[in-house]
Order: sequence, then structure tokens, then C-alpha cells
Amino acid sequence: MAASKTRSSSFSRHISVLPTPQIPGIKYGPNGTIFVSSGIPDLDRILGGGFPLGSLVMVMEDIEAPHHMLLLRNFMSQGLVHNQPLLYGSPSREPRAFLGTLPTPVLSKDDKSRDHETEQEKGLRIAWQYRKYFGEHQQNFEGQRDGKPEYCNEFDLQKPLERHYISSQNIDCISLQGSTNLSSFRDRCSTFLAQLPRYDGNITCAGRIAIQSLYTPQCEYSNMEWEMLSFLRSLKNMVRSSNVVAVITFPPSLVSPSFSKRWQHLADTLLSVRAIPDEDKELANLLTGYQDMVGLLSVHKVTQCNTQVPVFLEATTFSIKLKKRRSLVLECLNQAPIDGSSGSSYATSGSCSGSSKTGKLDF
Amino acid sequence: MAELIRRALRDGALDGEHAPALTIKDSIDSPFGPHVFNHVLAQLSANILAGKSQSQGIVLVASSWSPSFYFDMLKSREKDVASFQKWFRVLDCYTDPLGWKERLMECGSITNQSPKASNAVRVCKDVRNLDNLFSSILQLGKELVGQGKGRFSVVIDSATEMIRHASISSLAALLSNIRSHDQVSCAFWLLHSDLHEIRVTSVLEYMSSMVASIEPMTRSASGQRGNYENLSLLERNSKTGKFHVRLKRRNGRVRLMSEDFCIEQSGIKFTPRSGDGETISQSLVPKVQFNLQLSEKERIERAKVVLPFEHQGIGKPIEIYDGRQSLNENIENSSTAEKLPTSQDPGKGEIIYFRDSDDEMPDSDEDPDDDLDI
Repeated sequence: MAASKTRSSSFSRHISVLPTPQIPGIKYGPNGTIFVSSGIPDLDRILGGGFPLGSLVMVMEDIEAPHHMLLLRNFMSQGLVHNQPLLYGSPSREPRAFLGTLPTPVLSKDDKSRDHETEQEKGLRIAWQYRKYFGEHQQNFEGQRDGKPEYCNEFDLQKPLERHYISSQNIDCISLQGSTNLSSFRDRCSTFLAQLPRYDGNITCAGRIAIQSLYTPQCEYSNMEWEMLSFLRSLKNMVRSSNVVAVITFPPSLVSPSFSKRWQHLADTLLSVRAIPDEDKELANLLTGYQDMVGLLSVHKVTQCNTQVPVFLEATTFSIKLKKRRSLVLECLNQAPIDGSSGSSYATSGSCSGSSKTGKLDF
Repeated sequence: MAELIRRALRDGALDGEHAPALTIKDSIDSPFGPHVFNHVLAQLSANILAGKSQSQGIVLVASSWSPSFYFDMLKSREKDVASFQKWFRVLDCYTDPLGWKERLMECGSITNQSPKASNAVRVCKDVRNLDNLFSSILQLGKELVGQGKGRFSVVIDSATEMIRHASISSLAALLSNIRSHDQVSCAFWLLHSDLHEIRVTSVLEYMSSMVASIEPMTRSASGQRGNYENLSLLERNSKTGKFHVRLKRRNGRVRLMSEDFCIEQSGIKFTPRSGDGETISQSLVPKVQFNLQLSEKERIERAKVVLPFEHQGIGKPIEIYDGRQSLNENIENSSTAEKLPTSQDPGKGEIIYFRDSDDEMPDSDEDPDDDLDI
């Protein structure tokens, strides 16, 4: 097709224009969903925009690594930066102390990197017939540099969040330690959610709930697995009818397998984090960038809101890296270049059949 | 000995962080947990006596063996008997864990038969009340190090015994309180993993920062005992075994280590492993993709390549091969060296490609319509 802009035929491409949101921190998505950012730009991109309001996100922890805390920290910080009310539940006795470890958004370097990008784009030499597609990309970048707060910030994990964010009124911290059952926690959640109901029409405010390690062995309610399930179900229903995203982490290996499955089915978006062994030569040979990796993140389920079309992801497992030891990036796992001189190639990569054994016909 | 464990327990806890905790687990196939436990205890006490460790004393919660056993064991390794009072305390949950003997004595049925306990031993009469147990441990520890900044280690003889009397959540709460207490330097406990559900073992592993598991050298294939073929296996497993350690590091990675051990008269000896054995990476790594990103260096190189058929912006008119000129001229004019890495301009990049197979005819890159004479 020619690159002319004038309409030459009666067909014109329908470009759905999404309304720009009035309040910062939310984004409209397809099928009437409203997204809030997870605090990690890569994760937003993988999930197709962020966490949809009204959904329950579960993160399955690995008992050997604290990576779920990284996800929680970024999630909570993003909410505070956008002035969204936050409810934080934790099994520790002093949940407020955790707020001191929240990261601060990376500010000054941001603009520099953006300008750099545009310059690079100008110098980019692409064959002439593809230039017309590039215009669409430009629009996306423009929208984020208006001087309004960005939808998703990159966070610096080494610097704590500024005091004025933490001391604001809209943070509620609850300790789960002393409670014998979850009914008091459920009441606190329902009062929080009652402030942010969802009606058809305008959205005034979005809220966030972050629950860290809902199942911990030292809490007494953890013996009552059915009660925990019913709490989760009622929380999910309450969240569905309000403008809130709830992120809950739990360690699946500490719960009995049948309950672990039930928990996983209750989630709208299901992620899991895994630890990787240290100084493992095999892994170092297999993957590029092994030295920088801290762990692995897998996406098991993505929320399907108001649609029957399932979401297929290009890849489901990503490596968690700390870029310059400060900000969290998620990258696809990349196989290290195989030395062509050695006889076996594709030895451990995934083949079509999914098995890891080498076969003669391995595609 | 697994150097990692020894060093971690010796160095103890940093301020503001939880104390390192070790779970030693064994099973009936390789029941050498107590040997390893005693070895770790002896090493820690040696470090304490030498003054090399952060911890200044040990509080031992004895459930499976009597306190006198531990005194004897430590005496045989350390020559300094008299100083026990200064650095060692035992909470005796072995003699009368549920308080039955005390009740019998009150009724007058039995007389006090227990030998005179030393000052270093305190008897616990109710192991079911873990809150009281925790306060007893703290009291004994304060006797050792005083109120100040000193730290002590907590050693639990058998977590299996404690789970008999208390629920796993209360034991988890106890361990978590121990680890987070300011005056505790390190903690370790023994667990027989096949006596519990997997969930219980997982909970204890969750509460600890290091897990040491003891496994038999070779597992019998059929699981039967008493066969002639298995006798040699049993023979081997009765003296030797494998020792695996999983250490949780601060950056979120897990350090894995394996050694072989051998039980001898003098104690237990560890030797580093020769072969590597199973590869763990198989299970961990999912489908990986190929790297399509370019590194900085590669990007610069690519930028140097002069592409054909493109306006270079230097004023020269583009020459497009249109089939009328002869081939020789074209090769002269084009500036990319496609096949032959000839005179390399240091400022130019080049595209070097590898043939897919050697069967390809060398001329196959050319336009097959070249020889048409129109």
C-alpha cells in the first residue's frame, strides 16, 4: 500500500480512541477495563497494560527467596506516588516499618533517557516503506511526556520513598499476627472497599490492597484452611465490585496441595517467583546474563475481563534482574550462544514436544 | 565439615536482621542426623570457647537425649570441664516433659530419684506450653550473657519431639520469635523428616535460612530389605552418606553444596564430592528464547554498515542495479563486501554471513535472471 494519507478507498481503518483518563495513575484498556500500574514497567507490558481494577492478583512465593517482596514494594510505591489509598496487611507485628523500605521513583534520569530515545529514532535508518508504521509509536511516547505524572514509574530500590508519601492519611496498615481468625481483617477490608465502589461511569479514585504472606505458619488462623478460602472468596467478590486491585502473596509449598490449587484458581492474575541456584555453572552456560539474575518470574494466568478471548503470552517465564542494582527489570530468558564446534546443539532448549531429551529430529 | 554452615553459625546475626537458622533433617534411610547435630554443636562450642564466634553461650533444649549425655559428649571433645557453667545451659525437656513424675512425687508414689542436677540445667515440666518454653530459654540465655549486647545461640535437640506435643503453628511462632530476638546469635535444630507430613517439613525449612539434608549414598531400587544384593548397599549406607546443604543468600539466590560423609569411631568426617551428579538446571529452566537484542558494541557495529539501495545522505546518487549494466561494474560500485572480506575500511562495518550448508552452489545468491538478454 502506498504511504499516502489521503483516503483512496471506501475502507478506512478503525482506530479505537481510548479516552484519556482524568485522574493520574489509571489507564483505560480494551473491553471497558481500567488498568493501574504494577510499578514495574516490564510487568505492565507483559500483562497488557497493568493490573485491571476489580481483579485479584496472587503471587506464589518461593520459600527460599524474598522476591515477592520486590513485587509488593513496587506495587505499593506506585500507588502512593499516584496518591491512591492503600491497605497493607502483613504478618509482622509492625507493618508500618515496612513502609520505610518502599522504593522511590527514578526521576532525574528519566527525562534524559527519553530525549535520548527520540534522537536515536531520528537517526534510525529504516527502509522507506516502513516509515509510515513508525508514526503510531511516536504518539505513545508523546502522551507520557506532558508533564503529568506518568502511568508507570521506574523505582529505585536503593532509595526509600519520601516521607510525605508515607505519612499521608490514606494508608492503612494491619498486622495479621495476633488474630485467631480472619473476620476482623475481613471487616477492615470491607470498610476500605466501601470507600471505593464501582459505578458505571466516571471513576473518581482507584485503590490498592497489598497483603503480604497471607499464609504464614506462625499465625494461628493458618490451621483453618477452609476459613482462609472463604475469606479469599469474599475478598474477591468485594474487590470485583469496587475500583481496587488486590495483590496477595502466599507460599504454596506450605499449604496442602489441594488447598494450594484452590487458592490458585481463585486468582484472576497468577504470578509466581522462583529462586535460582547460586554459582551454578550449568545455568551460567545455558542463559545469558546469569550473573545479573536474581530470580525467575512466571506468569501463569492473566485476567480475562469482559472477554471470552484468552490471552496468549509470548513467553511465560522471565528473569528478574536488578538493573544497576536499583531497578527491577524483567527479561525474557535468552539462551546463550551455543558453541558451534561442539556436537550437541539444542540439548536443553525446549523442543516442540516439550521434553528436554535430545532426539534426532529436534526442531 | 560443611564450611558454609560452620561459618554462618559462627558469624551469627547482623543487627536488625533475623539470626541464621539451620535445619538438619534426616530419615530412616540415613539416620545420621544426631551425629551431624552433635558435630555441629561441638564445632560451635569450640568456636565459642576460642572466642571466635559472635555467640557467647549456648542454650540447649534437650528432648531426645538427657543433659548428662551432652555434658559427657562435650567433655570428651573439650578438655575444659569447669567452664561449662560460663557458656552452657540446658533446658531439660527429657526428664519430665509432661510433668508426670512431679505429680507422682506429689502423690507420694515415687521418691525423688533423679540425681542432683547441676546448676547449668533447668528442668521443664510442660513442653506443651511453648510460650513458657520461650521465656525459659530467654532467662537461661540472659544468665549467660547478661542484659547487654551479648548474644547466645539456641539449639533445639529435636524439633520432631516438640511437634509431638505442640502444633506446628505454635512451633513456627516460637522459632520465629527466637530468630528475631535481639540477643540470639544463631539457632539450629534437628528434624526427622519421614516422621512428619511434607507440610511440616516445609514449614520448618521456611523458618530456617539453611537446610542440611542427610541422604543415603545409594538408594535401593526396589526398597526391599534383607535381599542379598541389598546387603552391600546396607553396609555402605550404614557408614556413609551424602550431605546436601541449601543456603538462602541475601540476594535471593540459593547456594547449593554437597559433600560425602563417613561415620567413624572418632566421629563424623566430611569429604568433598567428586562427581557432580544430577543437573538441576533441567527442571528449572523453561523454554528459552534466543537473544534478539543487540549489545551496545553490536549496535555500533551495525550502524557502521552501509546498506545498499539507500540514500546515504552524502550527495551521491543512488545506483540501483537494473539489469542493464554488466555485473562487474556493479560489484565495483557497491560498497558492501558481501561475500569476500576484502579491504576492510576501519570505519565501515560489514555483514558476514555463514552459509547454511556447504551444498549450496556458490552462485546461488545471484539473480537467476541475470543471464537473460533483453
